[in-house]
Amino acid sequence: MWTASAPRSPRRPRTSGGGDESAPGDPADRFPRRVYAHGDDPDPRFSLANERTFLAWVRTALALFAAGVALEAVSIPVDGWFRPAAAGIFVLLGLVAVVYAWSSWMRTERSLRERRPLRGPAIGPVLMTGIAAAVLLLVIGFVV
Amino acid sequence: MTAPLDPGLQAERTLLAWRRTCLAVGVVGVVAARFAAEALGAAAVALGALGAVLAAATHLAAMRRYRRARSRGAADARALGMLTAAVLAVGLGCGLYVLAGAWTR
Repeated sequence: MWTASAPRSPRRPRTSGGGDESAPGDPADRFPRRVYAHGDDPDPRFSLANERTFLAWVRTALALFAAGVALEAVSIPVDGWFRPAAAGIFVLLGLVAVVYAWSSWMRTERSLRERRPLRGPAIGPVLMTGIAAAVLLLVIGFVV
Repeated sequence: MTAPLDPGLQAERTLLAWRRTCLAVGVVGVVAARFAAEALGAAAVALGALGAVLAAATHLAAMRRYRRARSRGAADARALGMLTAAVLAVGLGCGLYVLAGAWTR
């Protein structure tokens, strides 16, 4: 766990509550307000790193979707319900990963804005267990 | 030639990450729609097209943000929300395809 302690970006002084209503930093026109209504802008590099983490989770979700679709599309010699069950697990994990990408981006960005410590990734165990279960189903279906 | 935003080229790296992610969303959406077209028909095509269009729009939004980031830092998270919607559409299509495969077993 680490805290955001780098110096504030010099190009963005703390002027929230200043005179100009339509200032670029005005939280009213920034989506989502749940994030931007709190604290003030961190070092832009932290926001960019958070963004890249979001994108990496999105690509993880895409890989899981592709795995699920590939299992259905390619005829591998696995009988019964093992194959659709494994494919379903992959797609379900992908959906979990997308939702997590967005929610953890919001949580992290808000923590950065409020200078609070960041929480680590929470769904690692879920993902690992799910993938292991899907692979196990495939192996069992292959042998049976 | 304008100077980079910072020595680590953070903004550039982030733009490249947006680019490959949007590309992957579009490709996975279209390929999955192609496979699912037989089982799901118009629904697969609609969801795949929705994912691809949203991915393209997200890429445009990301490029606009990148140009703005040079002048006054990251803007807001509309592009992130849009990409989440695109991937949810693609994921929904993939889920329907897998369900249809299980149904017709």
